[in-house]
Amino acid sequence: MDNQMNTSENLYGVGALFKDPNKIVKVVEKLVELGYKHWDVHSSYPLHGIPKRMRLKWSPLGYVALILGLTGTLTGLFLTWWTMSVDYPLTIGGKPWFSFPAFVPVLFELTVLLASVGTAIVMLFIIFKFPNNQHPLHDTEYMKKVSVDHFGVFIEAKDELFELEKVKSLFNDFGADEIIEIAYDRNEVAFKPKVFDVKFISFLVVIAIITSSVAYLFNNKILYFPPFDFMLNQFRLGPQESSTFFADGFGMRKPPAGTVARNQEFYPFKNKPDEAGMKLVNPLLATKENLELGRNKFNTFCSPCHGWRGEGDSRLNGQFPNPPSLHSEKVRNWTDGRIYHVIMEGQNVMPSYASQLTEKERWAVILYIRSLQRALNAKQEDIQ
Amino acid sequence: MIQENLVINYQRKPLPEKLFKVGLLLLVVGFVGVVLAYISNSARASFNLLVVFTWIASIGVGSMFFIGIEYLTGAVWSVPFRRVAEITASFVLVLPILAIPILSSIHSLYHWSHTEAVQVDQILKNKSAYLNQTFFIVRLIITLLLWFLFYYLFTSISRKQDKSFDQSLTKKNTIVSAVFMPVFAVTLTFFAIDWLMSLEPHWYSTIFGVYYFAGSFLAALGVFTFVSISLNEKGFLVDGLGSEHYYSMGALIFAFTNFWAYIAFSQFMLIWYANLPEETFWFINRGVGSWLYFSIGIIFVKFIVPYILLLPQPAKMDPLRLKIAALWVLFAHYYDLFWVVMPTYSNGGVPFGWMELVFPVFAVGLLIVLFYILSKNVNLVPIGDPKLKRGLEFHL
Amino acid sequence: MSSNIDYSIEPEVVEGQPKLNQINEAIAKPLETRPSWKYLVALGISSTMLLIGAVCLGFSFYYGIGLWGNNQPVGWAIPIVNFVFWVGIGHAGTLISAILFLFRQRWRTGISRFAEAMTIFAVITAGLFPLIHTGRPWLAGYLFPLPNQHRLWVNFTSPLIWDVFAVSTYLTVSFVFWYIGLIPDLAMLRDRTKSKIKKTIYSIFSLGWRHSNRHWHHYEMIYLILAGFATPLVLSVHTIVSFDFAVSILPGWHTTIFPPYFVAGAVFSGFAMVQNVLIVVRKIFNLEHIITLDTLEKMNKVMLATGMMVGYAYGMEFFIAWYSGNPLESFVFLNRAFGNYAWAYWIMVSCNVIFTQLFWFKKIRRNIVAMFIIGVLVNVGMWFERFVIVVTTLSRDFLPSSWDYYKPTLVDIGILLGSFGLFFTLVILFIRSLPVVSISEVKAVVKGSQPVHH
Repeated sequence: MDNQMNTSENLYGVGALFKDPNKIVKVVEKLVELGYKHWDVHSSYPLHGIPKRMRLKWSPLGYVALILGLTGTLTGLFLTWWTMSVDYPLTIGGKPWFSFPAFVPVLFELTVLLASVGTAIVMLFIIFKFPNNQHPLHDTEYMKKVSVDHFGVFIEAKDELFELEKVKSLFNDFGADEIIEIAYDRNEVAFKPKVFDVKFISFLVVIAIITSSVAYLFNNKILYFPPFDFMLNQFRLGPQESSTFFADGFGMRKPPAGTVARNQEFYPFKNKPDEAGMKLVNPLLATKENLELGRNKFNTFCSPCHGWRGEGDSRLNGQFPNPPSLHSEKVRNWTDGRIYHVIMEGQNVMPSYASQLTEKERWAVILYIRSLQRALNAKQEDIQ
Repeated sequence: MIQENLVINYQRKPLPEKLFKVGLLLLVVGFVGVVLAYISNSARASFNLLVVFTWIASIGVGSMFFIGIEYLTGAVWSVPFRRVAEITASFVLVLPILAIPILSSIHSLYHWSHTEAVQVDQILKNKSAYLNQTFFIVRLIITLLLWFLFYYLFTSISRKQDKSFDQSLTKKNTIVSAVFMPVFAVTLTFFAIDWLMSLEPHWYSTIFGVYYFAGSFLAALGVFTFVSISLNEKGFLVDGLGSEHYYSMGALIFAFTNFWAYIAFSQFMLIWYANLPEETFWFINRGVGSWLYFSIGIIFVKFIVPYILLLPQPAKMDPLRLKIAALWVLFAHYYDLFWVVMPTYSNGGVPFGWMELVFPVFAVGLLIVLFYILSKNVNLVPIGDPKLKRGLEFHL
Repeated sequence: MSSNIDYSIEPEVVEGQPKLNQINEAIAKPLETRPSWKYLVALGISSTMLLIGAVCLGFSFYYGIGLWGNNQPVGWAIPIVNFVFWVGIGHAGTLISAILFLFRQRWRTGISRFAEAMTIFAVITAGLFPLIHTGRPWLAGYLFPLPNQHRLWVNFTSPLIWDVFAVSTYLTVSFVFWYIGLIPDLAMLRDRTKSKIKKTIYSIFSLGWRHSNRHWHHYEMIYLILAGFATPLVLSVHTIVSFDFAVSILPGWHTTIFPPYFVAGAVFSGFAMVQNVLIVVRKIFNLEHIITLDTLEKMNKVMLATGMMVGYAYGMEFFIAWYSGNPLESFVFLNRAFGNYAWAYWIMVSCNVIFTQLFWFKKIRRNIVAMFIIGVLVNVGMWFERFVIVVTTLSRDFLPSSWDYYKPTLVDIGILLGSFGLFFTLVILFIRSLPVVSISEVKAVVKGSQPVHH
């Protein structure tokens, strides 16, 4: 419904309808010549050459697309570089962390996505200032006829050169089929598209609330219901779970008899010290490295009881009885293998140290003990 | 029956003598250089000549493709310029002459032509039914004969129409175009496989024919654009041709630059990704020494520079920028073929000396002289074509 | 149309030189009438197909995708074939809207709206398959590079992720392109309608478009920009889909021609589908003067061209399989033609290469029944092409002891049926709710609608 009220306060402008597109060209040229600024041509499809004749500026959308596209490329580049090379690099298929050829498809898609969607948003919401259903031209006979098969030229009243009769006679000179005056509706007068409109902001808030609550509900609650929880509650047994399948109710089973642990050691000389002493041979040479290792381990494991130099001066303050000195005749005459047996099995109060020392470390300790023994019983030749 | 409304105002003007003189100078200087090159290092000369050979073939057969597409799509904007493409299509005629010195040094070019080497190499032995000298030459002859046939058909029918204004000749050429397309696809593919891909006979790529096609069409478009705009600016064509026509040329060059880049990237990325040594060596050879910089260079030369030159809409309509872009694209195709061919000759680095400059000079001189000679006594506009008037009135 | 064309006159895009308001009427009328019983029957059939698919999907979610035929060695089977098939069909729409626009082919105006809509529906249908074939589609969020509690990112070097980006971008951009094209038409409907509800809906979605030439000026620019972006986008989408296979090392999959071959095949099958549906739509809505026989003939020519490109690719693969001297490669191609899936291979070759050659003959190109049948055969052939590529290569690859014969289950077939149901339901709903032809574009190319150029 259109407001035909003619009062000059709420006159929006005057439009003329034509049926022949060629007439439009002539009118446009005249209006440009006369210097009108606030006017427009309306048609239900783009008319060739009209924007040029209206002297419209080149549309900036090309540049917008270019800038947004490049932004997309750079965003993609940063995303792929940072995730794959910095934050959580994984070597996949032997390829380098920054595999540029493999990133190209993603970069390309992001370029196109940002450029296309971004330019559309810029055009619709910034340049056109859409949505705008409050424009005075809506719901007028003018608009309805233009929609079908007419073409319209419209001059707004706020143009400096606007004078109602002059404009009407100008349109008549060009053979307009119909001339319509259009006035503002009450609610259209003060229309200004605002991004910070209360209704729009509250709409966004409502959307945000709905989205976050749905996301929360879904991810934290619904995903724990069947069938989504099938992978969470699996038929397989987890660690330390009980089981109805086995008679003893345990999920964990003991290994069958004769099972050997990995790297398990076998000591064939259990309770056979003399055989150990005869058969075991120190495989290590008295290199600096081995002696260092031996000293290190001796100081760590043996010295609390045996003392720093194996003399039996324990630091345990009586918690354990002091061991005999390692420099006695007996020990000095023991073979390396016999000492190894003591480390493996323990002796009297001393427990087994097999689990604290690896095989190599045990032999290294023995080398060190030998060096200590030599040091504390040095002969004249040793000093030379 | 000549329809009155189809006759347009065309005055045939002969091309300036100066053009011929420049072309002849380049040709003679180039030719002397080529001969000297053969004397000093015939292997290197043959490789350079191979680049020239495939470059000229691109332009010739690419022009025929362009003509065919015009007929098949019913395009009108290119009709006033079609005669230019018909003349550049004639470049295929020199191919037999250029093939002779190349074939005479086939042993320095193609490893598979050494029959003893083939006997001990199982892979080459398996392909020897295809890659042997006899069949190679037979294929060349068949390809050239087919190209000559279609060149003759396209041009003779079009020339006949200049006099008779007979519309059924357009329909005839449309049928010729339709038959030409599959023939073109197959002959161009095997041409590329034979002359370019078999330089590395252990290597293969199913997209290679398409790769050569993309570059060929770009080169043909480059020549077409440059010549058409130059002729129009100097008044050798008809009135009414301007930036709206040029836009289509610029848009095509831009589009096919994108297409070439897409094909080149697909070929590279797939071989890089699967990392199969039997395929990757071809690219690795192009990444050693100075070839690495040359290879990175091709991205700029054949993709980034034309892209920047032709991206803005006004650039596609501006005659000066278009001519620069057209010549650049022509150079870029030579660069591309150099990149495909030369690493087989010199696998440590890019060979560059007076020889590499002499051959392009020779090629350009040859083409200018050829164009000049073939455009004598020929209307530079297909005045009998029924779509000509629509072409003149073409607007975006 | 007589066989003697006068090349000197501009061919008419719309027959009969209708007036502008007649075009409005012809296209807007179906939106304002009640649906006929034929429409409801068609909707019923497609909805039933959709329902069958939905039920099969429901079972698949609940019991797991063990219900499908996928197994070792054919781990990728019908679901991915369906995915590639539907994405391919979507490509015709963008090609018609974007590429033909860039080439200034005015005959696209009658069919571009419909084709774009079909693209969107085809991509929606296609997008279901990557979603469901993971088995736990509710975790699909992990396909996107969103920060998550595992601190994991997606593998950007994987073609499956490229697919995610490509298909999402394609859906979004196609939708934007289609929507921007719809705005002037929605405005026209808003100005025309008498119903208050429809007026509100049209007003909201037309965003207040008021046919201003100052706006048309920008609109034409963005249409060009979107067409310019959509063209490489559509090429990239099916290229990226082809990368799913081509980046592997399997003979029969790893071959450099896959990208352009897949794109040509997509255009081929897409045009066949568009042609088929348009034949039906133009008849039932009496739009034969807008979606003309000339338009259909041109589409058939495009099908012939792309069909021959597909044939070229078959030939190249075959030749290079021999040329390469790689016995595994040669085996794959011999196996396709003569092995356990030879029946699928020969369906593919006959439909794609042989029957399409009938389009060399003008009589067949202009015969509605013949072209419809060939269109259906093309789609069958293209589905089988993807089947042959995926299943034959996997069924017999490197290790003969792993060879096995893949058979789809009823659930697989139900889901395939459901995809057709989804697509056709969306199409059928579309044709009665939105203008099937782009009114503003058609009006712009009708004779007499533009001012004479000086």
